[in-house]
Amino acid sequence: MLLFIAKRLVQIIPVIFGVTLVVFLIMQMVPGDPAAILAGEGASQETIEQYREDLGLNRPVAEQYMSYVSNVFQGDLGNSLKNKQPVLDEILLRLPITMELAFYSILITIVLGLAAGIISAVKPYSIRDVSVMVVALLGISLPSFWLGLLLMYLFSVKLQWLPVAGWDGPLNIILPALTLGVGGAAIVARMTRSSMLDVIGQDYIRTARAKGLKEHFVIYKHALRNALIPVITVVGLQFGSLLGGTVLVESVFAINGLGRMIVDAIRTRDLPMVQGGVLVASLVFVFVNLLVDVLYRAVNKRIDLN
Amino acid sequence: MNKEVVLQVKNLKTHFTTSKGTAKAVDGVDFTLHKGETLGIVGESGCGKSITSLSLLRLIPTPPGKIVEGEILLNNKDIVKMKEEELRKVRGNQISMIFQEPMTSLNPIIPVGEQIAETIRLHQRLPRKPAWQKAVDLLEMVGLPSPEKRAKQEPFQLSGGMRQRVMIAMALACTPEVLIADEPTTALDVTIQAQILELMKDLQKQIGMSIIFITHDLGVVSEVCDQVAVMYAGQIVEHRNAKDLFKTPLHPYTQGLLSSLPNIHENQQELQTIEGSVPSPYDYPVGCRFADRCPHAREICRAEAPDLLETNNAETKVRCFMHTEKWEVIEEKEELVCP
Ligand SMILES: Nc1ncnc2c1ncn2[C@@H]1O[C@H](COP(=O)(O)OP(=O)(O)O)[C@@H](O)[C@H]1O
Ligand code: SF4
Ligand SMILES: [Mg+2]
Repeated sequence: MLLFIAKRLVQIIPVIFGVTLVVFLIMQMVPGDPAAILAGEGASQETIEQYREDLGLNRPVAEQYMSYVSNVFQGDLGNSLKNKQPVLDEILLRLPITMELAFYSILITIVLGLAAGIISAVKPYSIRDVSVMVVALLGISLPSFWLGLLLMYLFSVKLQWLPVAGWDGPLNIILPALTLGVGGAAIVARMTRSSMLDVIGQDYIRTARAKGLKEHFVIYKHALRNALIPVITVVGLQFGSLLGGTVLVESVFAINGLGRMIVDAIRTRDLPMVQGGVLVASLVFVFVNLLVDVLYRAVNKRIDLN
Repeated sequence: MNKEVVLQVKNLKTHFTTSKGTAKAVDGVDFTLHKGETLGIVGESGCGKSITSLSLLRLIPTPPGKIVEGEILLNNKDIVKMKEEELRKVRGNQISMIFQEPMTSLNPIIPVGEQIAETIRLHQRLPRKPAWQKAVDLLEMVGLPSPEKRAKQEPFQLSGGMRQRVMIAMALACTPEVLIADEPTTALDVTIQAQILELMKDLQKQIGMSIIFITHDLGVVSEVCDQVAVMYAGQIVEHRNAKDLFKTPLHPYTQGLLSSLPNIHENQQELQTIEGSVPSPYDYPVGCRFADRCPHAREICRAEAPDLLETNNAETKVRCFMHTEKWEVIEEKEELVCP
């Protein structure tokens, strides 16, 4: 197991190269000159050139990239072009907010998804099953920003039960976490259902029934634990798209997390900020996936660890 | 012989309703199982042996399957009419089952000891520790080496033969009155197969249970069974004492099955097989279901369905017109009609 973890950690290095390179290239290609944006509207050509010089943006592109990457490996994510502050400081300020949001969202994804999936699978093709699955299909099809706006309108504007936006109390978490978590819950529900149905048809479930076990023992002890194995993988993947979703949801609900930071940085062409934000988000994703794999292997001992 | 009856099955019918129609997988099965007796149920694949055995514990997946008629009397109580609660007390306790596939019949992520112990906790209301100890003892009884260690392992760490031993230990955990074994050795290689059969015979002597032994292998039947029921197309066509059946098979289907056995005494050059195949359970013929494959078939065989009747010996039952009194008459008449 340790060897497996070590191997996976080494794989992070190419991930860092890949992510930074892709972001770097994209940022080179998007229109908009960071020096011009920073210098402000109506700035003279000399001022802009001065900015470019200061920021090191007049060096060859390859050189810019190489020096950035070598700094990254020394733990330096560079300074923001806008306020000259270290990117890392800003990220450390915002990451916990995003992680908290992600935590509650994935909790909703798991709890809601599992519950719905089990409810469906226990009585397949019943009215209950069909209605749960129709709702799940809706959950998958709705874009999250639209769902966010809808929830906001309903609970904050109409009913006034919850705050509209911001991040200063537990009530603030509910709507954005729901917005982010519901889509994943729908996917987890469908996966849980099909996995449960598959497992319930297995011989060992018949054995469990033949022993005289109560039906809820058969379902929760014998079926569910086996059915969860493929669901773990789906939850891991879901976490990735959830991270991506924070970009939108943090903007909709005005939450100062990592996602919103990246959006703002893109708008001002603040390359080091974008780079740093995306890199950290990718690392979080990689670590979560490692965690999922370790968990998967712990549950399913049949898999050869290497 | 006036032995105590443990299980009596009367006119059992289990049908499957699918988009293709109704499959009469089990279509009027009757038999009686006595205490301490081993009854073999044999027949080609698809004859309804497994569905019969699953029906006895009401383990048929519903839908599509359903016991549509009949009684299953365990000590005179009808299992078909039992409530869930009552049924659960029978399952694994009074009647238990061993399945063909030891690979897939054990839960892959639960230690085998626990899979045995949970049955003991459930039916005998023992606390965790003694139940676990009993599970280990059972594993020792079925001849699993280092049972203490094996009990903590998961099925994938055990060989096929060991898994089947675990299944047997699990089935015997609550000393059942009836053990149903559905092709318990088919998936195992020959040496292991012999060991498992030996083990089952030994344990039967110790515990004194009755066994229903399902197989398509007549060789195995001759080794372990007292009585044999031959199944064909969802029905029993011959039910007799095993020795007599092997000596003088009465039903043409049984005769066909036996002549397709490799015979060590006579130097048979070629194995005979019964030509044709089992009729579809969705569409049985009106008359005798074996008529299309039977070398003795007559007009009446296609027009009327024979019943499972006792012959002059009350211990012997056959479903064939050949063994009724009218057969001689029919034969004469037919010879007149078509020489
Ligand atoms: N789930 C099912 N749905 C429809 N038909 C089934 C199902 N299970 C079994 N059958 C029918 O029951 C017949 C008998 O099956 P089975 O009892 O398994 O035969 P065997 O004698 O080989 O054990 C099969 O030919 C099949 O047509
Ligand atoms: S009833 Fe007729 S067809 Fe059927 S087995 Fe007997 S002889 Fe053959
Ligand atoms: Mg079978």
